[in-house]
Amino acid sequence: MDFIACNTMIPGKIVRFLEQYANVAFAGTRDRDLVPHGHNVCGWCVGADQRTMTAFVPEEFTPGLVEALQENGELAVTVEEFPSHETYQFKGRYLCDRAVRYDDVEIVDRIRRRFVRSLRAIFADVPEDVLNAFVSKPSLAVEFEVREIFLQTPGPGAGTRLIPPVES
Amino acid sequence: MVTCSADGKPNTTVISQVYYVDETHAALSFQFFSKTIRNVRENPRAYVCVFDIRGRAHWVLQLEFQLSETEGPIFDAMDMQIEAIASMTGMSGIFKLRAADIYRVLSVERLQY
Repeated sequence: MDFIACNTMIPGKIVRFLEQYANVAFAGTRDRDLVPHGHNVCGWCVGADQRTMTAFVPEEFTPGLVEALQENGELAVTVEEFPSHETYQFKGRYLCDRAVRYDDVEIVDRIRRRFVRSLRAIFADVPEDVLNAFVSKPSLAVEFEVREIFLQTPGPGAGTRLIPPVES
Repeated sequence: MVTCSADGKPNTTVISQVYYVDETHAALSFQFFSKTIRNVRENPRAYVCVFDIRGRAHWVLQLEFQLSETEGPIFDAMDMQIEAIASMTGMSGIFKLRAADIYRVLSVERLQY
């Protein structure tokens, strides 16, 4: 039974995290046999009403993605800031997909710059173009309705559901 | 890492370490991710993507959970590596290995980018 209300709103603090600090993300789906599949996410944005998110997926991670989403609608996206490891997981329902637009590419470019800056201390000897290539060009935009948000920052609170709050 | 509950909800988490056990087995570090642990006990299938930044490639592993070890040579080796990773990333005292979860490797795929 699906008991999660459909009016979840992403808090402003988490919107700021997504827009200004987060620099790496990964998405999970599953097929009709409950086999999980992963999809690298190279960018993201929050809908104007703060109830939806759009994840941008590079070409090499699109096989099977839309088929799985159209079949069952289940999507989980984990977004992290490296190296602080502040991490949130967004679970929700697929709404639609489309080809990427020019402004989506600009979002991914900003995230790529943040990510490469964060890696410099660890990969000091790696050429800039190799680090830049890690954040691939987006190919597909997937919009989903956010229904649950979980804290996943390493520590004792990891796994706690933040939205909707867990009733004590 | 992606797992899926018995009622069909995928769960995605970041893990610190994928440990090579032998040609057909890998071990994953169990630290905090209780939902992942619950999922693989309900539905043993798991998906792991390992990033190789220098090699410009992603390695995708399809896995099946087999057992959890809280002692022994695999646990000890992973525990030592977790300490090193924690020290490198400023997470000393937070990263703590609870168990080494052993998975059978069903497939391995290299995605070049």
